[in-house]
Amino acid sequence: MAVPLYTLQLNQTFIPGLVTIGKYDGSHSCITAATNGDKVLVHTPHIRDKELSVLNVNQPVTAICAGRLRPDDNRDVLLIGTQTTLLAYDVENNTDLFYKEVPDGVNAIVVGRLGQWECPLAVVGGNCSLQGFDWRGDDPFWTVTGDRVRSLALLDIDHDGENELIVGSDDFELRIFKGDALIYEITETEAVTSLSVLESSKFSYSLTNGTVGVYDKQTRLWRVKSKNAAVCLWTYDIDGDGSAELITGWSNGKVDARNHRTGEVVFRDVLGHGVSGIVVGDYAMTGKPQLIVCSIRGEVRGYDSSCVTKDHVQRQGDTVRDLFSKKQMLLTELKNYTADPTGSGIPANTRLLTEINVKADHQVTFGGHVEVALSTNNSTVVRVATVFAEGIFEGETFVVHPQPQHVTNHLTIPLVPPNDTPLDIHIRAFVGPNAFKTEYHVFEVTRQLPRFSMYALASPITKTIPDSYATFQLSFLCNQLEAWQMQNFLAAVGSSNEERGGEGPSGADWSASLTCLRDGSPLHIRFRGTTITVATPHISLAADIVQSLAVYLNLDRVESVAEFPALFTEVEENLNRLEELKSNATRMAAAVADTANLIRSLIVRAEDARLLGHMKDLRECYVQLQQVNGDLVRGHSVRVANHRELLATLHSLNAVIQHSSKLRSE
Amino acid sequence: MDQFYLAMNMFRRRKFDKCADICTQLLEKNPYDQAVWTLKMRSLTAQVMVDDIEADEDGIADEFLDTEMIAQAARPGTSLRTAAPTAAPGLRPRANTGRAVSGMVRPRTQTGCGAGSLEAALRTPRSALSARPITSFTARSVRLGTASMITQPDGPFIQVSRLNLAKYAAIPGVAKPLFQYIFYHENDVRNALDLAVEATKASQYKDWWWKVAIGKCYSMLGINRDAEQQLRSALKHAPNIETYLRLSALYSKLDQPLNSLEICTSALQVFPNEVTLLTEIARVFEALNNIPASVKYYRDILQEEATNVEAIACIAVNYFYSDQPEVALRFYRRLLQMGLYNAELFNNIALCCYYAQHYDMIVTCFERALSLAMGETVADVWFNIAHVAIGVGDLKMATQCLRLSLAADPNHGAAYNNLAVLVHRKGEVQQALSYFQTAQAVSSYLFEPFYNYALVSKKVGDLQSSYSAVQKSLKVYPNHVQSQELLSSLRKYFENI
Repeated sequence: MAVPLYTLQLNQTFIPGLVTIGKYDGSHSCITAATNGDKVLVHTPHIRDKELSVLNVNQPVTAICAGRLRPDDNRDVLLIGTQTTLLAYDVENNTDLFYKEVPDGVNAIVVGRLGQWECPLAVVGGNCSLQGFDWRGDDPFWTVTGDRVRSLALLDIDHDGENELIVGSDDFELRIFKGDALIYEITETEAVTSLSVLESSKFSYSLTNGTVGVYDKQTRLWRVKSKNAAVCLWTYDIDGDGSAELITGWSNGKVDARNHRTGEVVFRDVLGHGVSGIVVGDYAMTGKPQLIVCSIRGEVRGYDSSCVTKDHVQRQGDTVRDLFSKKQMLLTELKNYTADPTGSGIPANTRLLTEINVKADHQVTFGGHVEVALSTNNSTVVRVATVFAEGIFEGETFVVHPQPQHVTNHLTIPLVPPNDTPLDIHIRAFVGPNAFKTEYHVFEVTRQLPRFSMYALASPITKTIPDSYATFQLSFLCNQLEAWQMQNFLAAVGSSNEERGGEGPSGADWSASLTCLRDGSPLHIRFRGTTITVATPHISLAADIVQSLAVYLNLDRVESVAEFPALFTEVEENLNRLEELKSNATRMAAAVADTANLIRSLIVRAEDARLLGHMKDLRECYVQLQQVNGDLVRGHSVRVANHRELLATLHSLNAVIQHSSKLRSE
Repeated sequence: MDQFYLAMNMFRRRKFDKCADICTQLLEKNPYDQAVWTLKMRSLTAQVMVDDIEADEDGIADEFLDTEMIAQAARPGTSLRTAAPTAAPGLRPRANTGRAVSGMVRPRTQTGCGAGSLEAALRTPRSALSARPITSFTARSVRLGTASMITQPDGPFIQVSRLNLAKYAAIPGVAKPLFQYIFYHENDVRNALDLAVEATKASQYKDWWWKVAIGKCYSMLGINRDAEQQLRSALKHAPNIETYLRLSALYSKLDQPLNSLEICTSALQVFPNEVTLLTEIARVFEALNNIPASVKYYRDILQEEATNVEAIACIAVNYFYSDQPEVALRFYRRLLQMGLYNAELFNNIALCCYYAQHYDMIVTCFERALSLAMGETVADVWFNIAHVAIGVGDLKMATQCLRLSLAADPNHGAAYNNLAVLVHRKGEVQQALSYFQTAQAVSSYLFEPFYNYALVSKKVGDLQSSYSAVQKSLKVYPNHVQSQELLSSLRKYFENI
């Protein structure tokens, strides 16, 4: 436990994750947090008697951030994001810089320099979209990304003097953009809730399942998992050793600081309530910034490096306790070995064989699945297998545990990867002489699932070539393509040339017909001369194949021609519907405003009647008010439905843009 | 002569009734003549259309039920609600809205920051002159929307609800007059908005006029943020004074006066020395209680337009309250020369004469003022006569004048206060106290009744009510030295107990 430098009780509710700090007058830090009732609190400790001021937002706040948006002014601008708007507000002067409608919503905001743009930008992440606004309210930066953006960070990851944008989103991906081009894509196991920049090219991330970790460029240095969710991450040098620590605030009120290289905890404290936000700023006016932790009930604690040294004794105790528990564990393990030296023995030459195949089997799963077959090379049995892989199952492990009477030396595990991504699967098989033992040997194997594992060869009867395709020019040899297919598809492994439907690997003509096991849709890849054609009804699949080919063959530039008639009509329909929905929305907004005017005047009239003691009028006013209110509530549900449809349409449009942009590669 | 030509001619000569009549006859012959139809719309609109840029007024409901303002308690000097009182209330009286008296009564000077709650606002006495509308929407339809009430002999000219708005929106020549007709004549903002939305779509979002029109409708409906977007986008197409003024008014509504000033200043770059923009700036400064800056802009206006009544009146008021009645008198005489002839002007001239010691002129001016005064102005004139009477020492006459003033306007708080002081001089303490209480009830924006009440009740020995009254006085005027002294002496006394 550390002793904080100071503790303030603001007695206000702070919404988790919506806390920031800004110097709105250029010199004094002010904690700013979203609170109940769609309001934002600004805590100004330097103003006597009026420490808390309240800003009305009138819509639920979804993101908040303060930063120097104006290039020639050292005062911070407060950015408040809601589900449909972004407000840039000058707190000191009570003026808007701009107020923008952002139909994609604002889930995360980060302020800073991005790429080669001269002005600082406020980058806003919404539903599949990223927008960068400058201080005038223009948006010079715009791009799309997959799924809902949850977190953003700016970091110069490749040391070229220009910041890159790191985006964490709901589809478990960490994407790194350089300008509007995607340079890295890292898959995580859950939605990425927050990101924080560490020094040089390191950054930390946290997931909804309570994982916190650190990446250096694309490589993960370490990660830890907790049963609580990390609310926020920040970077601060708490032990004063010159290198910054990763500070994590947890939903149960714990705060800890970890060394960013090893993940070792160097500092921890517990607040009375869940952490709502962590910021760094000079609140004690000591000239040096402190680490400030806010709880959801408005408790504010400040720490700096002087807080850490005090709990040395504590840490000694911790270490002793750790060592004791380790000793205990080792002792139990030893007991296992000594208790029954012969019982669990299995032949020394026992080996575990694994085989991965595509099964178009309709009984176990819909459509088909990837089958991992485990077997031993002798009479020993495979009792249980646990599969550890990211993003395939709910949670992260999958256990196959047959009834004792069905246990053989064979075990099959059906897997259905939902996305076309290469996967590492770690399998632990419990192997023993028979099924009724309590102790087993554990075999660990790691296998890789190729990227397009969910595609089986199409049977000649159902072979169809879809009418939508992407085609591009390539000059390379067939066997390269062959090798690519070997690496990326399960289906081709072990299948002969005839089955693949081609005229042989040596010819200039090569084709493959496959079926997707997820929905039975056909995929047809054809290479003739220098033209390769990927025919599939799904543009996302075509995009993935193009990207995969481009990476495999080290191509700098691929330009493709795409023909997706069904998708095209869908996009056209969506655009039309968007237009319609938007005009509906304006009409309904006008109607609501009209009704609101009526309500206002009724309320004032009712109040007037009450003051005059004219109860008959009062009653009449309230009866009318009730009717109008009922209308308004009904109208609201229509509006909500309209808005939801609008969001869905935008989502699908953004997805199409993203996939189409992936059809080429630069 | 061709009838249509005649109608056009009538329209140009602003004989709108006749123009509409001729159009009606022509339409009977050929109901599908769009030119005639449009001309009739325009002539009907022109009969009722007024310049509505300044006609906007915040109603009671808008002030208390809306929380469009972002900051609830912004830094003083950045908000219209927490405007810093640069001029002490003792030196420059406040209007019944609690804001320093301006030289001119305009729609938006009525909006005050005095009352703290809906109930207080409703309890504030309202009369025909100081009444505030319930909402800004009703304000407008009461003031301007009389046209649609006139029943036309054979049904309304256009059944707006039956129009195919999308069809007419696509015809540029018809769409704009139709919009103005629906907006000004029919006062049907929602349909006007529908038409404007269709029309801006038809013009591929390139016509600034339609964007301003949509902005107008939105701000009328109270959707201020959308209105802002439309007006800003209109400005990108074509800078226009009207757009700037509407945007500035919008920011005043959102309680962001500094943004209003910025908009107007940037507009002045495009339209240098434009009087309407300068007036807007001067008004915002006045609302912020930054009187010197306001006067500076009013002076700039006079450089451009020497006959601007508002500028002259505001400068004159400022001179009067900064102890230069002679200079103020010159400005008021200028107004008189320009042909202004009303009770307020003569009343002000009389006061200037009194302070400038032109005693011979006072009585004649007040007589003129009384003969011209109507309604509540009579009360103000009598109040001022009482003031002069106190000055010359005729307390009996002063009392009579104050009673006359109260007869004309029973809610004249200042008159009650002065009457109470006179009564107290006569030694009738209880009556004085009750007059003070009345003054407090009808005009809580004045600090004098509170302070006087505290003083008198302290003398009587009622320290408790004195204490509570002096606190109220300090709430209205925090820097009032005498109140502070009284409070500290009362504190000392209570601490001794």
